[in-house]
Amino acid sequence: MNTFSPGTILVQVGTKRGLFLLTSRDRKTWEVEATALKGRRIFYATLDQRSGHRLFAAENGDFFGSFLRYSDDFGLTWHEPEQGIQFPEASQQKLNNIWVIEPGRANEPGTVYVGVDPASLWVSKDGGVHWELNAGLAEHPTRERWEPGAGGLCLHTIIADPTNASRMWVGISAVGCMRTDDGGQSWIFANKNTRAGFLPEKYPEFGQCIHRFVQHPAQPDVLYQQNHCGIYKSINAGDDWIDIQRDLPSEFGFPIALDIHNPDTVYVIVEEPDGRNNVSEQFTVYRTEDGGERWEPLTEGLPAGPGVRLGVLRHAMCTDGLDPCGVFVGTNTGQLFASNNRGDSWHLVADFLPPIYSVKATMLV
Amino acid sequence: MDTDSPATLPNATVILPHVLRTKIGNRSSVTVAGSTIHEIIDALDRDFPGLRFNLCHETGELRPFVNIFLDRENIRYLQGIDTPIHNGAKIHILQSVAGG
Repeated sequence: MNTFSPGTILVQVGTKRGLFLLTSRDRKTWEVEATALKGRRIFYATLDQRSGHRLFAAENGDFFGSFLRYSDDFGLTWHEPEQGIQFPEASQQKLNNIWVIEPGRANEPGTVYVGVDPASLWVSKDGGVHWELNAGLAEHPTRERWEPGAGGLCLHTIIADPTNASRMWVGISAVGCMRTDDGGQSWIFANKNTRAGFLPEKYPEFGQCIHRFVQHPAQPDVLYQQNHCGIYKSINAGDDWIDIQRDLPSEFGFPIALDIHNPDTVYVIVEEPDGRNNVSEQFTVYRTEDGGERWEPLTEGLPAGPGVRLGVLRHAMCTDGLDPCGVFVGTNTGQLFASNNRGDSWHLVADFLPPIYSVKATMLV
Repeated sequence: MDTDSPATLPNATVILPHVLRTKIGNRSSVTVAGSTIHEIIDALDRDFPGLRFNLCHETGELRPFVNIFLDRENIRYLQGIDTPIHNGAKIHILQSVAGG
């Protein structure tokens, strides 16, 4: 069995061809190893440490279906749920892809959430062994009018409010942000003032192409969102949103992350929307330290040149929860960049990986 | 599958692709009984729970990149999952050729 000592930083890297683990004790030198999910298409992986060390992975096979899997030995052996994520036959829905896995609140150690395409939320109360569909979202009265984005009708972001057991948000492309205030029985749209530039109605109730959002850890009503059409902040739990794009060179991007110790510090990677790669010849991560008032480009150690065209997918940037904050960026051409100083400087810590779909950093306890 | 009269059902040898063999105890093939491909899939799922979902969507239709050959014929060009089985049939389950 793989063992890692407490304090190790474990970066889970989901790729088009396998799940990889990177480990470091000092965030300077890194070891790379492949898990037993070799060659598998892994959209997302996350380590749940609320009760042991259970590593979850979202495997979306090329041929034989999509499966949530979990491992209790850091990826050496994997298990499938006893009751997996499958729609009832009568629903006439087919599971296309599993997009995201989020452990629930700290005080509900068995609860795990999963978001999939077609947009739906799945809940396990027993650590991933049995799964149930959230009916409130599945039966939403507007559901027949939900339209997919280019990646499908995918539920890709889940935030269970740690301060309010009844409140939760999900992000669906291209539907937008939705919130429940009653523990998932009913869901409301939370898209006011976010733009859908690709629709005739630019500010609809729903239909926005939200790409990713995060919650401020100390002010739970504060959310930051990277959208297909802009970067936004909400100070009222998504009741409405404020445009914080400022002077960023593009409104388009996928990932967003924040420094939990300095939560007005937020990171985005905006892209040229057609090519879906860096806007200029300099691959750049952008940082705000004042909640979106000003943005600064972070480039030290990041590549530049006429041949540099890097794309970063929605789950492929994260922070590590340490202070000073570590930031990790995986590209769709297999490079993994890491900063151990809040983004001030960067190092290429892995190259020649398959296209990177997701990056998640966890300090082992 | 009519489990009340298994003796009357044809037996078939089902050969699975490498990636699915862990689900059948790391064997390359198993023998199951059924009068149609649909019943064969039912029998596989009964003996090896979860295997059906590798082959079919929740709606029951065969996944688009899963090919099932009865002897040498792709069932898509026969009667699909309703294709009847004869005793002693060899059923190959294969993934589509991917790439160039």
